[in-house]
Amino acid sequence: MVVDQSEFESFGSWFYIYMVDFSMLALFMLVGWAILAFALAAIRNSPIRAAKMIAGTIKRAFMVDFPSTSIRRTMAMSRLAIQEAIRNKVLIIFVLFVALLLFAGWFLDVENDHPARLYLGFVLSASTYLLLALAMFLSAFSLPNDIKNRTIYTITTKPVRAHEIFLGRVFGFAAVGTLLLVLMASVSYGFVIRGLDHEHTIDKTAIEWDESTGLGTGKTSLDGYHRHDFTINEKLKNADGLVGTTELSKGHAHNIYLRDGDYIVEPPTGDLLARVPVYGKLSFLDRYGQPSEEGGLNVGKEWTYRSYIEGNTLSTAIWEFENLTKEMFVTTGSDDGVLPLELNLRVFRSTKGKIESRIHGEILLVNPEETLSSVDRFSAPIPFEADEFVTSQVNIKFSDIRRQNPVTGELQNIDLFKDLVDSGKLQVHIRCKDHAQFFGMARADVYIRAPEGSFEANLIKCYLGIWMQMLLVILLGVFFSTFLNGIVALISSVAIVAMGMFAGFIGDIQTGEAPGGGPIESIVRNITQQGATLELEMGDTAIEVIESLDGFYLNTMESLAKLAPDFSKFNMSAKVAYGYDIHLNLILRQLVTTMVYFFVLVLAGYFILTSREIAA
Amino acid sequence: MSTSAGQKGEVIVETRNLTKTYKDFWGRSKVHALKALDLNVRRGEIFGLLGPNGSGKSTTIKLLLGLLFPTSGEALVFGKDAADVSKNERIGYLPEESYLYKFLNAEETLDFYGRLFNMSGARRKSRIRDLINLIDLDWAKRRQLKEYSKGMTRRIGLAQALINDPELIVLDEPTTGLDPIGTRDMKDLIVRLRDQGKTILMCSHLLADVQDVCDRIAILHQGELKELGAVDSLLSVQDITQIQAKNLTPDTEEAIRKLIAENQGELVSMDHPTTTLEDLFLSIVRDSESRPGFVSHQEDADQQEEPVAAE
Repeated sequence: MVVDQSEFESFGSWFYIYMVDFSMLALFMLVGWAILAFALAAIRNSPIRAAKMIAGTIKRAFMVDFPSTSIRRTMAMSRLAIQEAIRNKVLIIFVLFVALLLFAGWFLDVENDHPARLYLGFVLSASTYLLLALAMFLSAFSLPNDIKNRTIYTITTKPVRAHEIFLGRVFGFAAVGTLLLVLMASVSYGFVIRGLDHEHTIDKTAIEWDESTGLGTGKTSLDGYHRHDFTINEKLKNADGLVGTTELSKGHAHNIYLRDGDYIVEPPTGDLLARVPVYGKLSFLDRYGQPSEEGGLNVGKEWTYRSYIEGNTLSTAIWEFENLTKEMFVTTGSDDGVLPLELNLRVFRSTKGKIESRIHGEILLVNPEETLSSVDRFSAPIPFEADEFVTSQVNIKFSDIRRQNPVTGELQNIDLFKDLVDSGKLQVHIRCKDHAQFFGMARADVYIRAPEGSFEANLIKCYLGIWMQMLLVILLGVFFSTFLNGIVALISSVAIVAMGMFAGFIGDIQTGEAPGGGPIESIVRNITQQGATLELEMGDTAIEVIESLDGFYLNTMESLAKLAPDFSKFNMSAKVAYGYDIHLNLILRQLVTTMVYFFVLVLAGYFILTSREIAA
Repeated sequence: MSTSAGQKGEVIVETRNLTKTYKDFWGRSKVHALKALDLNVRRGEIFGLLGPNGSGKSTTIKLLLGLLFPTSGEALVFGKDAADVSKNERIGYLPEESYLYKFLNAEETLDFYGRLFNMSGARRKSRIRDLINLIDLDWAKRRQLKEYSKGMTRRIGLAQALINDPELIVLDEPTTGLDPIGTRDMKDLIVRLRDQGKTILMCSHLLADVQDVCDRIAILHQGELKELGAVDSLLSVQDITQIQAKNLTPDTEEAIRKLIAENQGELVSMDHPTTTLEDLFLSIVRDSESRPGFVSHQEDADQQEEPVAAE
């Protein structure tokens, strides 16, 4: 799973940068509004009267209107919005959603290797898009309809403040959206659980027993378009009757119990997870074992998210983890513990070799204190084999961590926390052992797995992200509807949401990180059949003209995209689908972003509503 | 009709040189809707804005309510600028059409507007009950407004304007869409409200309505104030004396004619007075309600009694 680099920032540093950016943005908007309002008022009146009007509006806002905000009035407006939405039959969206789930079997690949990912991805995406579309329509048309039907006359002639009209609509539509989201989430949860639920059976007569080891092997029945290999050992039967576990298939396994002489395969485990990864900082050593400023190698892939290390050299990827404590890994009542590492390494083969064989690597646990001798710093290598596209679990038992005695050459046990962890820090070095093969990795590809979180809680966090997206869309829709008619307000909301979703891409094009240039350069490349990664072959003047035009367009787009909330940061469905816990840090950022847009848009909506003639 | 309150009371509504010019996007004048209007409406009077369509009546009301902004001049209500929302606490407004939410029923409508005045639940409940009784819609209070006739909608519109027991009631064409009974009820209610001490500002192009209820009127035409004053004094024709008497014989009538001629007077008309159509209609309807099945033969009576022509 791809993790955005910004996720590694602490909340404090993110908050500081964000608030500086936001303050600049808010100042820019305030000054922009004042200039625009003054210009418009001055055209219609005299400049002196225009200045008085603006000063009067600002004074009235902060001295009278905001302090006299009434919850009862705001809630009355919300209630009206809810009644309006419900009588406009918005709950039909829920019916549509249920219909989608009922017929999901027609278009979902039921034989997919990761059904949990597929089902979760589907229900979360469907919920998001349906809800956002509904939020856009509700919010963009409500106020313009009131103005068009003049029902607003009976509102604005009551002691209702402009921001109460704005907030009432936002809260009302948010309440309707919340109800829908809760309904969708409940049905989705049932759909996923039911979709993943299946039972296997074991035919006792088909088990192959190894007389020497006492192990029985075989395959389960075919259910849910798959079957599992299993190995059972009746000698290890515990009080519950557990005799073994199946191999992983379609992202899950089953425990096998022996009860009353029958082998019972329990429901699936491991497909709905909330792994809590503890990420480290990634750095690289080059093939000579020297620190590499440029990171790892580029094996020629356009996507530079991952860097590579060369096999059978000193090329090393180093993750440094912080704030580790023994309690994180030692289970209660046991002196021993396990360092659970998970690896999502990519493999790049420069020679074909045995295509089915795995690539070998080694892990070294290293004390980050560089003043120590290398003998004292490094553990003995721990070998592993990398599986492409599969998460490899490497559980290193504390008792298996060893170091070579420099005198005797024998391996001796060492204590992870006494000998290798320094002030809570530990380095994990990974090397590729096979000649002419490469491991590819990004910072998020290797992590220590902390105790598991709750899948349900993780799902709720994901829905919270969707809810915040919905709130932002409602805010934008109501904001645009304060000065635009319904259809234009809707289009503007769609444009801002799209811009917010593709803000990163627009930024990449603008900085040149995404190859191919701007729209004009792309068209030229298409017509002249020139690849995106090659230098554009044209006359200097032509290139200059193209780049200038593209530059103007891209700068404008990037500025606009910065104004829009980055919706991609709110989409956490991939984390839930891939079974990763959503860190509280992310939720906090989303909350801050939403609150900031909330206050800015309510303020802007207030000033626009009070500055416009409702009956004009 | 009372004029004393209108002349002496506290000024509730005031316009000073109030001007509204509709402009296009580039600031070019399109329509001069209101030109330098100076008005005072005092506590306890019924003030009528009269004028043909497009004379500036509704524009004046919208400016006073803050629905439009003046191009120049000032509009003050209770001494506050019209843009100040807090003035609305003391105002009730019935727009020209009852712009209400059709998906609400009468109770929900009044409850909603009551909430906008920050009224407590108990007060809302009692006020809703009183107003529904006042407008005689108890039988239809649970029906959505989309099922209401125009007259019923108008009545619920009036009720919403009264929900806060306002000091100033602004009525834009209050009798539009009402049948004659509804019109009379509305006019009676307006007078009753005035008698309770409310100030009423209404605009209408129906002269009879204005004449019936207003203490003072302003006549607007093409955005300009053409006439302003008490209705009685404006309608009074000082050089004509009207005499009405009952049961005169033709001889007596002849004697009166002679007396007028002897005193150098000019007899303009001597006739049996006619009632207004509104009064006749109401009389018939009320009579019919009290005596079901009774048919009046007014036409036969008219044929038997020839009118006395004026000389």
